[in-house]
Amino acid sequence: MPPARRPSKQMITLLAALSEGAQRWRHGYDLMKETGLRSGTLYPLLMRMTEGGLVEAEWREPTQPGRPPRHVYRLTAAGVSLARSVTIDPVRSPGSAALA
Amino acid sequence: MSAPVARALLSLAAACLGERRREWAMAMRGELEAAVEQGRPLAFAAGCVIAAWREMPNHREGRFALANNALALGLLVPMAGLQIAWAAGFYGGPVPGSVEDLYLCDAFMGAVPSLLGLSLFLCLLQLRFAWLLLEGDWLRVAAVGSLIAAATATLAIFTGLLFLDGRVAVLHAAALAIDIAASFVSARWRGRVFPTVPAQRPC
Repeated sequence: MPPARRPSKQMITLLAALSEGAQRWRHGYDLMKETGLRSGTLYPLLMRMTEGGLVEAEWREPTQPGRPPRHVYRLTAAGVSLARSVTIDPVRSPGSAALA
Repeated sequence: MSAPVARALLSLAAACLGERRREWAMAMRGELEAAVEQGRPLAFAAGCVIAAWREMPNHREGRFALANNALALGLLVPMAGLQIAWAAGFYGGPVPGSVEDLYLCDAFMGAVPSLLGLSLFLCLLQLRFAWLLLEGDWLRVAAVGSLIAAATATLAIFTGLLFLDGRVAVLHAAALAIDIAASFVSARWRGRVFPTVPAQRPC
């Protein structure tokens, strides 16, 4: 079995941001502001984490007319668990192998 | 002004992300208005383009697009430039004092303008061929390929007969062979990546 890889610094930052009020849905731009990650880093991370089952995404209707619908994100149970394990043991965290 | 440019960049990002990541392209588009409100639409959109480029090697549409662009920009376009360089070198005239200079000088003087024009036309055809290959417009690729073949044959006949020299024709024929091989490989790959897309694009 290959050794588990440590999540990248950016991923840990994103996990930390998403785990604050883990049940709260967040917009992509708000996550950029919160984490300081640029869109070029944030979106590939969100794609990987969604495919890895750590983050779930949903469409929300626009609050203002004429605006497009927006994607919102939050951690899944697996994501919450990984966020906790990264906080407790940031060097080696189970389940992060496929994502980092 | 920056918002329309940002929208154009997001369209580019959507094209790079392909069908598989269409939802993510829409998600980026949905966040653009927030970026506009914050006064940073260009930075946001540029980041999205970078994200899309980073994703391209991860899906087969992206790999195909990267390879096709590399083929067109890295091989076919430089080849068109080389053809012009070959033609310019060849049509510079015979070496002074050589046999060709003695017997073929008049032929050179008379034929060079039209043959140089034909070579330039051939170079433009090469560029058009590269563009159509990128678009995947196979019917036009075939049409332009036929024109390239006709122009190459004309060059071969005239340079061979007038100057007793087939070097330029051989080089153009080699370029044509590369064109045909490139279009064959690209068409087969595209057929595997987009099995349902018809060969002819709507006009």
